[in-house]
Amino acid sequence: MNPTGFLSPSFAWLFLLVVPLVIVYFLKLKRPRLEIPSLVLWHSVINDQRVNSPFQRFKKHLLLWLQLVILLSLIFAAMQPFLRGGPGSAENLPILIDCSASMAATDTEGGPTRLERAKQRVEELIDGTLPDRVCLIAISDSARQLTEFTNNKRVLRKALGALTVRDVSGNLADGLRMAQALARRETITSVTLVSDGNFGSLETSANGQVIAPVDIELPFELKYERLQTSARNMGITAFNARRQAAVGSDESLTPWNVFVRVDGSPAEETSGEVVLEQDGQEIGRQPIALEPGQSKRLVYSLESSGVSNLVARILADGFDGLETDNTAYLTLPVSRSLFVWCDSELESYRHALGVFPGVVVYPGPSAAGQPDLFDLAITETTEKANPNLEASVRLVVGQIPEDLSELVTSRTGNSPVVDWNRSSLLLQHVNLDNIEITDLPVRGDDVLDQQFREAGYDILATGRTGPLVLARHAPGRETYYLLFHTDRSTLPYRVGFPVLVKNVIDISQHAAGLAEVQGQPTRVLDARTLEPNQAYTVTGPGASDQEFRTGPDGVLSGIPAPRVGIYRIRGSSGTVATVGASVLDAGESSLASADEIVPRDEELRVGASTTTIDTNRPLWPTLAWIAFVVLLVEWWYFQRMTARVAS
Amino acid sequence: MNVAASDKQLTSLLGNETLARLERLRLQPNRRKTNRTQGEHAAGKGGSSTEFADYRNYVPGDDVRFVDWNIFARLNRPFMKLYQFEEVMHVAILVDGSNSMKFEGKFERACQLAAALGLTALMGVERISAYVVGAAGEPPSVMPPCSGRVSMRRLFNFFERAECGGDATIDSAVESMLRRHKGKGLAIILSDFLTPASLARPFNLLYSAGLEIFALQVLGPTEIDPELTGDLRLVDSEHGRTVDVSSIGELHGIYREHRERLEEHVRRQCRMRNGRFLSISSDAPLDWVLFDLLQRQGWLK
Repeated sequence: MNPTGFLSPSFAWLFLLVVPLVIVYFLKLKRPRLEIPSLVLWHSVINDQRVNSPFQRFKKHLLLWLQLVILLSLIFAAMQPFLRGGPGSAENLPILIDCSASMAATDTEGGPTRLERAKQRVEELIDGTLPDRVCLIAISDSARQLTEFTNNKRVLRKALGALTVRDVSGNLADGLRMAQALARRETITSVTLVSDGNFGSLETSANGQVIAPVDIELPFELKYERLQTSARNMGITAFNARRQAAVGSDESLTPWNVFVRVDGSPAEETSGEVVLEQDGQEIGRQPIALEPGQSKRLVYSLESSGVSNLVARILADGFDGLETDNTAYLTLPVSRSLFVWCDSELESYRHALGVFPGVVVYPGPSAAGQPDLFDLAITETTEKANPNLEASVRLVVGQIPEDLSELVTSRTGNSPVVDWNRSSLLLQHVNLDNIEITDLPVRGDDVLDQQFREAGYDILATGRTGPLVLARHAPGRETYYLLFHTDRSTLPYRVGFPVLVKNVIDISQHAAGLAEVQGQPTRVLDARTLEPNQAYTVTGPGASDQEFRTGPDGVLSGIPAPRVGIYRIRGSSGTVATVGASVLDAGESSLASADEIVPRDEELRVGASTTTIDTNRPLWPTLAWIAFVVLLVEWWYFQRMTARVAS
Repeated sequence: MNVAASDKQLTSLLGNETLARLERLRLQPNRRKTNRTQGEHAAGKGGSSTEFADYRNYVPGDDVRFVDWNIFARLNRPFMKLYQFEEVMHVAILVDGSNSMKFEGKFERACQLAAALGLTALMGVERISAYVVGAAGEPPSVMPPCSGRVSMRRLFNFFERAECGGDATIDSAVESMLRRHKGKGLAIILSDFLTPASLARPFNLLYSAGLEIFALQVLGPTEIDPELTGDLRLVDSEHGRTVDVSSIGELHGIYREHRERLEEHVRRQCRMRNGRFLSISSDAPLDWVLFDLLQRQGWLK
């Protein structure tokens, strides 16, 4: 490979200027006149010189040579030569730039953020890598290709300048996967990653090193350029509230327990105060001091009858590296009972529901008025069969979903439970051993679990001939299917049945935000149910308004929330919801840094390099300086020569 | 003339001490080219001087006063005693007065040397004449032939009043001199000899006229060793012609070779005609030239 190259070889035509320079030099040379007694000797000297050396006049013209050096230096500078940076240069170079939340941190007080330093470094890479084609990829919660492969500096600089931090955790695997996809259509031998090393999932290896495992094989060489980091930080990594246990059915005045978890950076001790505000009023302030790597959970108790907005703030003592994780938001919902629809025929369920406080069962004597949307519906009909019954959580008993009719059928027979997902929310702590079921869901021939997943269903319990319990998760809607009827089984007579009902109540309360609310993390706002087929405008921090539209089911989902702050959802009638998004990521707040990136093939571990990668080095500034210095020398020499002749 | 003269000095050209020392010196030509007129140079046998030269047999008709009677008494044969002739030598001094002699005191030094050499000739009871040739085609400044100590004042006045300027070459200057000069003897030429033409013709003319050639080349210090650098346009002082020279500092070696080649050319031309040649710098001390260099070279004794 040629060690040098030119960015603008077309400027080579300027070499033609050498010819007029030489001609003009000899034609227009301003020679000092000197009268001498006789030219006899000089004539013979000149004749002798010309005879002996025809090119003699070119030989010792220092001024001409200096002018040629200046001209050639400027021409070469215009051609923008560069020294190749060895194997570091490639024809196509994807540059992955980490712009996750930790990149907003400053490592010195008042200093540049990590992203600013990364952008500066990438700009050097762009300057040093051209004319190779560069593709910029930003990594945050997902990977975004900022530019195509190009050597257009203006385009690259513009894309780089527009890059901002997203207050989300970094997803390195996504970035590498995008580079892998690019490698399929372009020749890519190496990929450069510029990051602080704080990725979503960091682990500590046996030798004490922090590693970032990525489940991907790298078909290229990954150069991991890690920024120097030394920040100390304290951040809120969890912010949630749980309603205290109620006694009766009306629990509107039940107080909330609010939990704030604060994590410190692993390298240094941190201290400060945590302030809790409710609807703009400070209601609590607690000092906090953390050992390196320690985290603490602070508990506040407060009364709230209606919607209440909570803000937790950290007031750090001294320097705090990351500002965005010092604030967290939480919205407490209106306290009310859980509205449950339970078919009248399902006596066992109605009986079990009556045990739990804070639950209003429809239809029933104590249930006045029927809500448009139930929090929980326990029914023998599917959503398609009974579309008028709307609920956030639906437990369908003894029915097979219509869209699975080709995969599974129900027969009569004995179907013991073979296995079930004990960690699922619905079946946790539910023992399904030795339950007799007379319905027999039968899986079709050659039907695999994969086909259920592709249809959007998770299998929670499996019988001998087919699935028994299915779950389907959709934004704002959760549906659980018991493919057997509990009344035709021994389940209602087992301890697991009330546990199952309690689990579905908990799921419903969580979905409705009645028993426990968690702080909204950045990335994507949780789906919420609003008016169907309506347009809504979402205004977030530092971003222009975005239009979203609900579907026939009224679910508004997929609202990006890349920044920490308040997001207002406005409809035609005004603001319908206000949501505060927070970082709430222990990994980002720790500002930890991976020493190595470990891909699937562990032999190809990629160590962090804090030294700058050897890139192509532009030579035009050096040539410009040479031209300037030679110009000075020429001026000095000309002045000296003129002075000597004059004297 | 810009040579400052003291009131007590005899001439502004030469100091009194220099004049006193010059009175004791005589020109030493290689061959005695004299004239038949009575002079002080022994010019061969058969003269009437008191210097014995040779004997010869007596032939009838000889003046018996020159018979050596002592030998006749011993040998009984008459022999004639021969005495050397004492004849006068004509010294012609030619000073180049062209523009090229204006530089670096060349003309002034040439006039001083001409006056000094003329003085030694006068002190040797020779006839001298002087010529200063400036412009070609114009009559030269001439000091008519004269001799004896009484002409010393006249000699000094001529060179003190000599003017420099013109484009005469050595060739034309010699021709111009020979048109006015008569008599054999010595031709002293003081010039820089910077001429493109060959010196063979003028030197042949001098030799044919019975003049022994004493060529004294006077060059300026920068002509001997030019300390020039850079790119220059050189202008000829006599004709105004120019020549562009680049990186002149690199040509010093070649220039020195050509200057030495010119000196050798002039020297060879003089030697071929039994003459003498000497090259001096105009800034060389006058006393050193007169009382050291010229004596060592056998010009003066």
